[in-house]
Amino acid sequence: MKRGNFLLGAVSGLAVVASTDHLFARALAQAPLPGLPGGENRVLVLINLQGGNDGLNCVVPYGDEAYYQVRPNLAIPRGQVLDLDAHVGFNPQMGSLKGMYDRGMVAVVQGVGYPKPDHSHFRSTEIWQTAAPDTYEHTGWLGRYLDDANLPKGLFNGVSLSDVLPEVLVAERSDVPAIAQLAGYGLSSDRNSVTRSALTRLVHDGRMPFSSPYLAHVAEVEGDAQRGSQELPALVHGYKTDAAYPATPLGRSLALAAQMIGSANVGTRVIYIPHGSFDTHVSQKGTQDRLLGQFSDAMKAFYDDLAAHGNDKRVLTMTFSEFGRRIAQNASAGTDHGEASPLFLVGGGVKGGIYGTYPDLNINANMGNLKYTTDFRQVYATVLERWLGRPSETILRGRYAHLTALA
Amino acid sequence: MASGLLRPAGHLDIANALRPYHGVWNERQSAHLLRRAGFGSSPKVIHDATAISMDHAVSILLGMPPADAAGRPDIFDARAAMIAARMQYGKRGSNDPVALKAAIQSLRRQEFRSLMGMQLWWLNRMLASPAPLQERMTMLFHGHFTTAALQKGVSPDMVFNQNQLFRSHALGNLRDLTLAVSQDPAMLIYLDNARSEKRHPNENYARELMELFTLGIGNYSEEDVRQSARAFTGWSVDYRTGQFVNRPNAHDPGTKTFLGQTGNFDGSDIIRIIYEQPACAKQWATTLLNNFVYNNPEPQLVDAVASELRRHNFELAPVMSTLLRSNVFHSERAYRALVKSPVEFVVGSYAALGLSQIDARAVGALRQMGQVLYYPPNVAGWPPGSNWVTSEMLISRENFLAGLVNSPMMRQSSWISQIPMRADGATKMLVEALLGGDASAASYAQLSQYLDGVGTAALGTLSPENYEMRVRGGAYLTMAMPAYQLA
Repeated sequence: MKRGNFLLGAVSGLAVVASTDHLFARALAQAPLPGLPGGENRVLVLINLQGGNDGLNCVVPYGDEAYYQVRPNLAIPRGQVLDLDAHVGFNPQMGSLKGMYDRGMVAVVQGVGYPKPDHSHFRSTEIWQTAAPDTYEHTGWLGRYLDDANLPKGLFNGVSLSDVLPEVLVAERSDVPAIAQLAGYGLSSDRNSVTRSALTRLVHDGRMPFSSPYLAHVAEVEGDAQRGSQELPALVHGYKTDAAYPATPLGRSLALAAQMIGSANVGTRVIYIPHGSFDTHVSQKGTQDRLLGQFSDAMKAFYDDLAAHGNDKRVLTMTFSEFGRRIAQNASAGTDHGEASPLFLVGGGVKGGIYGTYPDLNINANMGNLKYTTDFRQVYATVLERWLGRPSETILRGRYAHLTALA
Repeated sequence: MASGLLRPAGHLDIANALRPYHGVWNERQSAHLLRRAGFGSSPKVIHDATAISMDHAVSILLGMPPADAAGRPDIFDARAAMIAARMQYGKRGSNDPVALKAAIQSLRRQEFRSLMGMQLWWLNRMLASPAPLQERMTMLFHGHFTTAALQKGVSPDMVFNQNQLFRSHALGNLRDLTLAVSQDPAMLIYLDNARSEKRHPNENYARELMELFTLGIGNYSEEDVRQSARAFTGWSVDYRTGQFVNRPNAHDPGTKTFLGQTGNFDGSDIIRIIYEQPACAKQWATTLLNNFVYNNPEPQLVDAVASELRRHNFELAPVMSTLLRSNVFHSERAYRALVKSPVEFVVGSYAALGLSQIDARAVGALRQMGQVLYYPPNVAGWPPGSNWVTSEMLISRENFLAGLVNSPMMRQSSWISQIPMRADGATKMLVEALLGGDASAASYAQLSQYLDGVGTAALGTLSPENYEMRVRGGAYLTMAMPAYQLA
């Protein structure tokens, strides 16, 4: 099995192989990857389209008559679809992303999912974030990357721009801060040097007259929080945002992401941002259109900003969603939890185009669901090895064929 | 970083785990009980609980007043306002779409403000209720049977009615509560059963009922989801009154096969069958242990509590009575073995500081900390345990404390002004009242030095001039210590 020229859709997913084919694979993966833009300072931005994004009305199979039959009211009329080729096109709200697609910056991977799909938000999100459909893992796949990557020690190697740390960035040995926004980030008591130094000592005093499974963890994160929050505002202070971001939560998060990426000595490699909710059981159109438009416009501003600072080539953005939705609409002008859906790879390293196979729209073939044609772990393996330059086998607990969507 | 739900080190004595505790009963133990069965307490309440017996303290905590004993908050009647707006500006009125849109926007803002007022009302009830365990259980159910306000038309009065439902079942029967929740308008709308009908059954409620509310993943099949969704068709909401309604025409009367049983089932049958599954008692046992004892409990302990639940036909009162009096609850392994949720942290801080009222700052602080009442992040509710321990979260918590101890409210504290004007005595009082004495000798010394102004140029030793500022700073530092994050 050669890396690089594998046809998507022809792979059955769980490509765990024991043969001499891979004798040198690990060494190869660890070697610097030649020819990629961005050198060693590559960044991955992961956007979670949470709630289950309906793939059929996002990357619309407008060339397939079956689409119009199963969605009598919810289908997007042919004339409104922003066509990518004769078969598929973007939701009409995604004009900005279409412009980026036309400039070769966007790879669309169709029909992404995993075997024996779970229809629960909670469990399927967990599966995507831990990259473990069959087991319950305590760490996320990017958490394991951070543990494994031997990055220079830093407080911001991985950052979640959210209220709560997502499972994908939970690591064994790396503390990942969750920063909802920069304004107000930090301890107000640190403005007084006496309180600051007293607290620093109190936080680091772990010899307590009781034991708790959480005490050491709390003390370590609190210490990191205090140190990190003192350092971060100063580190990013000099950055000048150079794009008109939409005034949406995603726009604000991506503006901060560009600021962190573009500031020296922050050292961020992985950024997680949630966007949603796409859980459109009822009256889907208004909600999904609005969220896709916000995503598309924020991506354009993000890459404009990155390009203005010469960072666009070293930032890859990847989306995911815990599942797509049912092929047919339901009685409430919405769609219920489904299976496969497309994802996007944008920016650095991307060879623009459409990858993978669009799943079969036959409503009787798979209990009304779209059956996946690309295992999401193929996408992760590709990103880990070809973008972040790390062997994927231990992180993903198996070997997966790569996509050709990254150079 | 350590992650997930962490079980304390050490050995479980399963033979004695649920037997009554007869060990030491001091302020440290009573504060532990009050943090778990309530939201934390002032030094006086801890002192009083210590002066009576553990058994007596638990029986007082188990007392449940009627849900409406404390009245109700102001609740904006969004449904009436919507009907009025439609009458005035709709097709039968002036037919003015622009004015109608403006009226609807205005009522949405009023709805949102009403929700904020309801949040503050509940926080104050947590602080001041004579039955803190009732509020604690209401909060547990709120995170368990999640429903988010203002989504999909869940109106403020529906949110409050659901809250009262939890309160009235606080130590009631879990099966009855599950049935009541399945017919609760806010839930019917939030998880889409209100719009489920026989031609297109909506599976959202049936799935979450089994996955998150009762059985847990792996204890039912996708087919069970489909079949039970058919059984729940017809349970809906009358949108004019906001009340539950059973619509026979929307119900699928056909035969269903669910978890191995076959019949013409409706929602009540589904809940009955679910509660016959061994997994249901285990799931609830795990939830109770995770919330009240420690995380990731041993399977033998889960089995023991599950068997108590079955023995008592899922009545919570006798099971909670056993649990709160048990050796495992009062064990050293359970002590400080849980991470405080933001609500526990915020309400507990007002309580510990001897304040009798929670002000609006708490609402904003909880938003920062990621736990807004009536707005759980998703259907799985708020994350447990160490998920609350992130940099952002701890920063939000310390900043809330800094704001609180420096606010004028602190003058109303029942005990801060009685702190002695000597650094060692003041340190002892702060650490005992706020941390139950859970600080190392080095931390005592550090706090004492702070109170004595070591390192400051002016105003050395604790004195009338610097007293208030220095004591407030000392209270902040005590509560900013890692141990304070633990319940």
